[in-house]
Amino acid sequence: MRKYVPKDNVQKKAYYTDRFHVVPRVPRVAVEDAHFLSVVNAVKADITDSYVEIGTLVLHIKPEDNFKVLQVLKEQCGYTQCSEQSAVDYLAKDNEFELFWQLLNVTEAKRVRVVCRLANGAAIESVESLFKSANFAEREMFDMFGIKVNNHPFLKRIIMPDDWEGHPLLKTYPLQGDEFASWYEVDKIFGKEYRDIIGPENRDPSKIEREDTKRFSRVGYEVPFGAPYSEEQTDIEYSETVLVDYNKKPSKTLDKRR
Amino acid sequence: MQVANKLSPFFENLNFERDDNTMVINFGPQHPSAHGQLRLVLELEGEQVVKAYPDIGYLHRGIEKMAENMTYNEFLPTTDRLDYIASTSNNYAYALAVEKLLGIEAPRRAQVIRTMLLELNRIISHLFFVATHALDVGAMSVFLYAFREREFAMDLMEDYCGARLTHSAVRIGGVPLDLPAGWLENLAAFCDKVDYELEHTYEALLTENRIWKMRLEDVGVISAEDALSWGCTGPMLRGSGVKYDIRKEEPYELYSELDFDIPVSDRCDSYGRYRLYMAEMKESTKILRQLIPMYSKTEPQLMAHAPQYISAPKEEIMTQNYALMQHFVLVTQGMRPPKGEVYVPTESPKGELGFYIKSEGEPYAYRLKCRAPSFFHTGLLQELLVGTYIADVVTIIGSTNIVFGEVDR
Amino acid sequence: MAQHQVNYASTAGLPIALTSVDKLVNWGRSNSLWPLTYGLACCAIEMMASGASRYDFDRMGTIFRASPRQADVMILAGTLSKKHSEFARRLYDQMTEPKWVISMGSCANTGGMFNTYATVQGVDRIIPVDIYLPGCAPRPETLQYAMMMLQKKIRRESADMKKNTKQDLTTQTGKKRARLI
Repeated sequence: MRKYVPKDNVQKKAYYTDRFHVVPRVPRVAVEDAHFLSVVNAVKADITDSYVEIGTLVLHIKPEDNFKVLQVLKEQCGYTQCSEQSAVDYLAKDNEFELFWQLLNVTEAKRVRVVCRLANGAAIESVESLFKSANFAEREMFDMFGIKVNNHPFLKRIIMPDDWEGHPLLKTYPLQGDEFASWYEVDKIFGKEYRDIIGPENRDPSKIEREDTKRFSRVGYEVPFGAPYSEEQTDIEYSETVLVDYNKKPSKTLDKRR
Repeated sequence: MQVANKLSPFFENLNFERDDNTMVINFGPQHPSAHGQLRLVLELEGEQVVKAYPDIGYLHRGIEKMAENMTYNEFLPTTDRLDYIASTSNNYAYALAVEKLLGIEAPRRAQVIRTMLLELNRIISHLFFVATHALDVGAMSVFLYAFREREFAMDLMEDYCGARLTHSAVRIGGVPLDLPAGWLENLAAFCDKVDYELEHTYEALLTENRIWKMRLEDVGVISAEDALSWGCTGPMLRGSGVKYDIRKEEPYELYSELDFDIPVSDRCDSYGRYRLYMAEMKESTKILRQLIPMYSKTEPQLMAHAPQYISAPKEEIMTQNYALMQHFVLVTQGMRPPKGEVYVPTESPKGELGFYIKSEGEPYAYRLKCRAPSFFHTGLLQELLVGTYIADVVTIIGSTNIVFGEVDR
Repeated sequence: MAQHQVNYASTAGLPIALTSVDKLVNWGRSNSLWPLTYGLACCAIEMMASGASRYDFDRMGTIFRASPRQADVMILAGTLSKKHSEFARRLYDQMTEPKWVISMGSCANTGGMFNTYATVQGVDRIIPVDIYLPGCAPRPETLQYAMMMLQKKIRRESADMKKNTKQDLTTQTGKKRARLI
């Protein structure tokens, strides 16, 4: 019987999990720091949850408030840098993406993560006019997850080629690519009719064709390209200065300058 | 006229038939000064750039996707290939993020070794910056000199971990090896050598060099607001007068105990950044000198003691049954960190390198996002290059010090 | 002046060296291999190191050229991504004959550790490769050794490039053959 593979998440899974294994959680601490408290008070109306996780203040917001909250954080709380922005795919579980913005306050040396849940297919407002770093980050998010961003100046694929199909960081996208990805370079360079000639990709890292004289030549047993495999030693000379003699005792003297 | 088909296509980089008298030039992806696989589409009016469009992704290897399909320890060697000029800083940033997630801390000796390796990597990376930047601008001899010193630093790295470029010299929870005999003496000699050469070779060759100053001064000017808004970090931010170094502001490892300065430049241009890199190398040697006596005062333990996540030392695995069982489970299944998310910034030679890890309690990370400094510095190019001359484009790319392994990931 | 007249018969013989065209041409080809600076990823740093002061590639007659039109050897140093693959092929096509390819590093050979959607699983899928250089990243000495192996290979070849068996991009079974070169 063929093994069942869930289609909504094709990433690697643990092959064995103990029945009694309880996953602990990283402690979420209530906000106590004075600076963080002032931040929470500044955006109190728009946040749904706030806590401190490993030194970072995490603010949960609604997706439609993202521009407003980030504007308040930038203009009132001094979070002048958006160091990172991206998404996490929760489509299999909740049919939602989790988006996060990682902000930095340079004067206080504090970091805030603004988190929101965005429904599949919905679009998010661009924060490019607040933080220019969002220009590339939002394009990357669009490229990797297919999340549309409203009012972005140039929303186009950034990392994958323009004619690429699929969004690679979705959980439904396999690590080794789909059918389109596996033939991409052949189709692009030679055309589809050369697929048979060039052949499929070898994705098995342990595959060795010992008698393949087109790809491998055994040193000391070389045959001409494509000729049948032979066990007879060939008389090709390799000069001794080139091949390292491992039986020779190494000299102990080191370079003085080291 | 050549007939274009798929195998012998007809490509022209220059487009002359435009109404607005501008010319489009395709810079890269194979360009010796593009620092890897940067493709810049430049629109020129005369010799002035009126529009620049950086096209990246030519080195995209799916590293973030790999992280979702690998256990935490398996993924560590992959981080080498992010910023391949200073591998250990990537290893370290990743290891630190996982350690924060697990809530463990490396033992003191591992911390000393890690800090040493980080600073050594900073010197390697900065020497490489000086070499390539000078080569791009036209000073070939500096390239040869800088690679000479860089090789000595690589020898030190090789003595420690066996690899020249892809070190994997840090493990989650500590370091794999103790320092080899005589390493610290070599390190001290290397520090002296770097300090001497910095003063007598590089600074003597470049700092007051008329051509160097003409090519670099007032080229690639970034204001402090722009630098913050574009997400610039590291020397790019400090070169614009913002004194922010994660080693000082959000200290990790032993940086809170060490005495070093943060060089800042108010010039905001390429020359200021070049001076900054030079000053940072001197600070790195200062840190390394302070670390050498600290090493002998530490206990020999190298890996943190956390049997749930980290294998016991080899002697224990070979002698004690329970340690062997733990090791077997950790190797075959991988460690299972607690549920939660973490973002840990570190100061890599290029800027803020941080790993965002979202864990769902599985041996595989649910999402790993690598916040690479070069990615945002590349984004800056589309604004920074506008208005400059075509000859300055290479200088600006050189002074942003981007590495495409971490831009495209 | 009599002292300038050399008696070839008694000293070193006539100033004539007898050789074949093949040997002469290959001597020239193999001793001035000019690679294209085609740094793709990590291996490019080692390629630069081998051109720099300690390893000094120039002494082998190997001088890096920035233009494919001037280059004889393409050193594919690093991971070739799918987005980049068409440019790699185009640069190869732009190089003049005779041309050789060194695939440097595991990523270029087989895709290496990057067994992902975005990486070409071996550059020999799009470009015929002469020397595969293993390692991640190979040391500069290894690259020099590869260059010397390539020189050996060239010295065994015929000066007439049409006679040489070039690797063609066929399937591993080798039934269908197509000259894509």
